[in-house]
Amino acid sequence: MKDVSLFIPCTVDLFLPHIGEAMVSLLQRVGVNPLYHRGQTCCGQPAMNAGYRREAKKAAKHFIELFGNDEAIVAPSGSCVCMVKHHYPVLLGDEPEWFRRASELAPRVYELSQYLVDVLRVSDVGAAFTGSVAYHESCHILRGLGVSTQPKALISAVKGVKPLSMNQGDFCCGFGGEFANHYPDISEAMVQDKVQCYLESGADLLILCEPGCLLNIGGYLSRHHPGKRAMHLASFLAHSGRDER
Amino acid sequence: MQVSTEKFTELVRREVEKARLRPALKMVPHFLHEKREAVLADHPDAPAAQAYGGAIRSEALARLPELLEEFEKNAISNGAKVFWARNAEEANAYIVKLARERGAKYVIKGKSMVTEEIGLNGALSEQGIEPWEADLGEFIIQQMNRTPFHIVGPAINIAVEEVRDLFLSKAFIKEPTLDPVELGWGARLFLREKFHRAQFGVTGVNMAVAETGTIINLENEGNIRFAKSSPRTQVSVMTLEKVVHTMKDALHLIRLLSRNCTGQKITAYVSMDSGPRKVDEIDGPEELFIVIVDNGRSRIYQDPRAREALRCIRCAACLNICPVYRQIGGYAYGWVYSGPMGQVLMPPLLGLDKTQDLYRASTLCGACKSVCPAGIDHPDLFLYYRSLDVSADASAAQRFNGKERPWKETLFFKLWGMAVKRSWMWNSGISITRPLMNAGSRGGAIRQMKGAFRGWFRKRDFPAMAEETFRERWEKTVGKGTDFKSVP
Repeated sequence: MKDVSLFIPCTVDLFLPHIGEAMVSLLQRVGVNPLYHRGQTCCGQPAMNAGYRREAKKAAKHFIELFGNDEAIVAPSGSCVCMVKHHYPVLLGDEPEWFRRASELAPRVYELSQYLVDVLRVSDVGAAFTGSVAYHESCHILRGLGVSTQPKALISAVKGVKPLSMNQGDFCCGFGGEFANHYPDISEAMVQDKVQCYLESGADLLILCEPGCLLNIGGYLSRHHPGKRAMHLASFLAHSGRDER
Repeated sequence: MQVSTEKFTELVRREVEKARLRPALKMVPHFLHEKREAVLADHPDAPAAQAYGGAIRSEALARLPELLEEFEKNAISNGAKVFWARNAEEANAYIVKLARERGAKYVIKGKSMVTEEIGLNGALSEQGIEPWEADLGEFIIQQMNRTPFHIVGPAINIAVEEVRDLFLSKAFIKEPTLDPVELGWGARLFLREKFHRAQFGVTGVNMAVAETGTIINLENEGNIRFAKSSPRTQVSVMTLEKVVHTMKDALHLIRLLSRNCTGQKITAYVSMDSGPRKVDEIDGPEELFIVIVDNGRSRIYQDPRAREALRCIRCAACLNICPVYRQIGGYAYGWVYSGPMGQVLMPPLLGLDKTQDLYRASTLCGACKSVCPAGIDHPDLFLYYRSLDVSADASAAQRFNGKERPWKETLFFKLWGMAVKRSWMWNSGISITRPLMNAGSRGGAIRQMKGAFRGWFRKRDFPAMAEETFRERWEKTVGKGTDFKSVP
């Protein structure tokens, strides 16, 4: 059986562990063997985004030490994958040996839907859901990794599902990490518009592949529209749309 | 123009509220973006054309000193006079002097962002020379004493009712009307008179071609062409980075600028001037002055990373697609430029210490980068500027006045950096934080929090920290010590 290494974003580890578990059961279901480095911490994205490159470098080296020999590394997040794939080689550009290791690692890191569809060539994972869903195209997944058809293929293959299109589906939800907390006036207006588009789509459920967007959109729904849900694609596929935590 | 980039958060609050009251406003950039998409799709290979634009701009900047000298040489041999201005004051003083020497009572202006940047209108008025903006949008905001809301459509936010009232009060129209054509006609009749007697015209420049010494302007109203050809004296103001090597390069940028800017294959007017009127020519100005303004750009040029910001060709595609610009509009950015292009350009121009919010108020969503015909990676530049604040002592940071971050943040990331490479420390950090964070949680959700995270909780909940992290759950199910092969 093929091994795959789990890259668990710190947001998932701390706040959304059920997404990590959903990913594990999904990978097992399609016949790969998930392995887990217990020493993993954070990819360094918060430090990088705040400008603390020296600290982000420490995270990068730690990650490379841990995952450096893995054949395939999969994360339920696009922004964390972008960090490893795109930012590590640049961050470590002035240290030739580390640069080499970062560059060699980069092509082996995948976002979950990308790994399932592009590497394993699986789109039907045996899930079923009676209802309609809309899909939010997270910025780092769509523009950072160029991943858009893969999650849609996985959703369409779910038995009984009715995928609906949503206005401005490729628009940022206003998360942006520290941005959401530091510029609430802008961030709230953005998430409000995103939720409005979701409500207008008439979908029963909003699916996305990025923990950050889930915290933002989900956090807004929880406060203002408790009857409406946003769900990570991994949970949706693993539990056929049921809320299991 | 007054700089209020330090009041960003305050301005944002006001502008978001204004935008909320006028939902139609958000649709203007949306329509411009849709138009762009449609026309660009008509290009045989749009991504390749965009990438070529980036290559042209990148090469022009890499060879900037050499190309500027070549441009100057050729412009002079065409009969133009070239003046190099180190800053706004020098540029304004020179133009004011030219106008006074020629006894100009007023100056007719074509739409130009650089003259907004250097505050030319104010400098002329102070000397009793009246500046008249001849672009309809610029004309409206000049009459209203406003700053540009958008770099291409400076008055796109002004409601037609406001324009009607303004034009009535200034007697540009006699009867009230909301018909844009009639309103435009009113402005046109008024300005026609100004054009007719104009002695002195001032315009900007879209491209300056080094190999021919030609300056190029794109527009849709004809005011720039009028301002360049009708008066006896023409002054064209450009910033250093406007130069490109060949006419072929310029033609490609014209294609891209038209499509990305207004969603046109070509703008209604494209004018190219190589020197003033020659003896055997029937029209054109008798004298042409080209003012090349630095105003901080040679400092940006010295930084190979920040130099990318100078690639911008002012198409505003990044404004139109930006989800932040759509919420806050152009005023909140606090100076001449707005949207992502302003967020990459204004910090090194004005200093990072005065513009921190501009490169921090971004979700790094990358929409700007995805449409840029000059190949600017805006999010990456934001990250670069942020890093210069943190390393405020480095030479690049000093060049742009990097400002140290708050000590609490610095301390946090110092500790974070220690823990991130030691999982035992990371995990004990989690155990210590959990009860503190979850103290006020109910039903698995935190609904409010005071202090540093209050911004989030104004309108959003956050999940409580899991009783067991993923790692802890994994250890329980799979058993301790089942780390696999490569763990050191």
